[in-house]
Amino acid sequence: MLIFGERINGMYTDIGDALKAKDPKPLQFWATKQEEGGAHYLDLNSGPAIPKEERAEAYQWMVNVVQEVSELPLLLDSTNYDAIEAGLKLCKRQAIINSVDATPEKMERVFKMAADYNAGVVGLTMDKKGIPLDNDLRVAFAMELVAAADEYGLPMEDLYIDPLILPVNVAQEHALQVLEALRKIKQLADPAPRTVLGLTNVSQKSPTSICNLLNRTYLAMAIGAGLDAAIMNANDDDLVDVAATTQILLGRSIYADSYLKVFRAR
Amino acid sequence: MALTGLEIYKQLPKKNCGECGVPTCLAFAMALAAGKAALDTCPYVTDAARENLESASAPPIKAIKFGNGSVMGDETVMYRHDKTFYHETTIIIQVSDALTDDEVSAKLAEINGLEFDRVGLHYSVEGVAVVNESGDAARFAKVAAAVAAGTEKSLLLISNNPEALKAAVAPLAARKPLIGEANADNYEAVVNIGKENSVPVILKADGLDALSDLVEKAVALGYKEFVLDPGTKGTAQQLADLTQLRRLSIKKKFRTFGYPVIVFTNHENPLDEIMEASVYVCKYASAIVLKTSAKAHLLPLMALKQNLYTDPQKPIQVEEKLYAIGEVTEDSPLYITTNFSLTYYSVEGEVESTKIPSYIIPVNTEGTSVLTAYAAGKYEPELIWETMQKLGVPDILKHKNVIIPGYVAVVTAKLKEISGWNVIVGPRESSGIVAFAKTLK
Repeated sequence: MLIFGERINGMYTDIGDALKAKDPKPLQFWATKQEEGGAHYLDLNSGPAIPKEERAEAYQWMVNVVQEVSELPLLLDSTNYDAIEAGLKLCKRQAIINSVDATPEKMERVFKMAADYNAGVVGLTMDKKGIPLDNDLRVAFAMELVAAADEYGLPMEDLYIDPLILPVNVAQEHALQVLEALRKIKQLADPAPRTVLGLTNVSQKSPTSICNLLNRTYLAMAIGAGLDAAIMNANDDDLVDVAATTQILLGRSIYADSYLKVFRAR
Repeated sequence: MALTGLEIYKQLPKKNCGECGVPTCLAFAMALAAGKAALDTCPYVTDAARENLESASAPPIKAIKFGNGSVMGDETVMYRHDKTFYHETTIIIQVSDALTDDEVSAKLAEINGLEFDRVGLHYSVEGVAVVNESGDAARFAKVAAAVAAGTEKSLLLISNNPEALKAAVAPLAARKPLIGEANADNYEAVVNIGKENSVPVILKADGLDALSDLVEKAVALGYKEFVLDPGTKGTAQQLADLTQLRRLSIKKKFRTFGYPVIVFTNHENPLDEIMEASVYVCKYASAIVLKTSAKAHLLPLMALKQNLYTDPQKPIQVEEKLYAIGEVTEDSPLYITTNFSLTYYSVEGEVESTKIPSYIIPVNTEGTSVLTAYAAGKYEPELIWETMQKLGVPDILKHKNVIIPGYVAVVTAKLKEISGWNVIVGPRESSGIVAFAKTLK
């Protein structure tokens, strides 16, 4: 189970301000803090804070300042592929492009780029028309992504399919469809593609008092259905504990009384 | 084994014509993977694609049978803890036809004598290989016939001369020997001999590339009863090749290597040879051909093989009998435990360190521990007393004292009642036995 730390995102005011002021401190603070929490990768997203024409430069700056304090590999999270490509050039460890959907022209651009820079790819099970409700349609998009990855020689272990979870308060029926999709996606190829979710989406705009509970419960359910990675809050200790515990109950890590500590130390 | 959508898609024509009733080939592949469509609805699928798809659902490694009940292949895992290894390595001892008749019969007598009884199990060598080192076809046939007459074991006939093989195999076809070797130069003739006599054939080539070429050519002759020999070489390279052969057939469903593997040892010094063979037993060889036939050399190899091919999901049991620890007498104390090997050996170790000669009975609880057996109703006082009587304990011991595990103290009264023996409750943990034993008078 891989934890992709979500916090370095321009949607948060401290990161948005830091990006504008070119102040590395908040980014480096969260890089270190998320690594301590148990993150295996760090997601970098400029958000809307930076105008389009400055994005490429902003991503290069983000990659550099984060790599100054952390050895963790990075996810470059943007819909601006020029910005991602600029960032990829500076990544010291194998990065992940976050993300591409199943639109043919986008897949061509992103999978080619992944091959050129030896990067992983997060593939979203949707196209221009939006997010499907039915799990079969999600899986059909996943198959398009799997076939494209195969065509461009991307190993299945480097493809992370995201079946797109939506907030349960407004799109409750999606939660079950995503679990079904996760099960089926693991059957598409052998070795199977990996799977990922933007976990925090499930609890968006629910009352703060139940957000954490929703995240934890859905994480356990999704891992049971075949989830390999989650973009999530790496500093919610209870949530990381859930991730660690699933690894024990699914027999992926050997049990020890101190498994919570061991999970974070890896 | 179900095929994945991607595997099916790769075999389809990718025309996206929609004639199958599904808009794209990709969607059709997914419908096939989900069992919602039949391959026949696609008019453009090639015969080769059809065969690939059919064979992909066959077991990853073909089972090859020969001789007197020898089975090779049919394995499904890289590591035994993932499931189990099914078919024990076939151990074969080679006999050269360059030996004199007397030497051949002496060697054969030695091979036939390789029977071992150890910890309640019986081991024996499965096969004899007759190797055409004389270069003489008639001599080869004669020695093969002599060996066949002198043993019931599975036979392996090795010559690279098709004429010699043909002459030797024909009269022995009913014994279903494994024959070889078919190499790049003679494979057509040798494979045909195998086909005519319905016996499996060893395909030999040096290195994996050459071997894969040879298998493809041999399969094209319309025969599929093969055993692969990746050549004789240093142990390190052989280990790498054996690993690749197993990994490609299981993980990548590489049909060309989906056959069992036979290896010939390389070392001349028998001690080195056994070390080499031990590596091959652990690492995927379905058959090993050895030169040594000394009892002392074979026993450790056979024990290793038996050990490795034990099913790890089944609890290991010790035999239910009266075990004597030290110089026991009719006054020695008697301990009762279960036949789960972990439990038994924990108790045995502790009893041994009391330095008091003692008896132990591991009651047959189907290999479960004391508490597991008790919870499952397999450790009842009736069963304990029955076992004591069956093993003749009342005649062997002068006293009438029996020590039971502390965790099943609850059976004391009933056991006392039905046996008339004095039941002593021992410590809960076997680590308490040493201190406990001092309190016995």
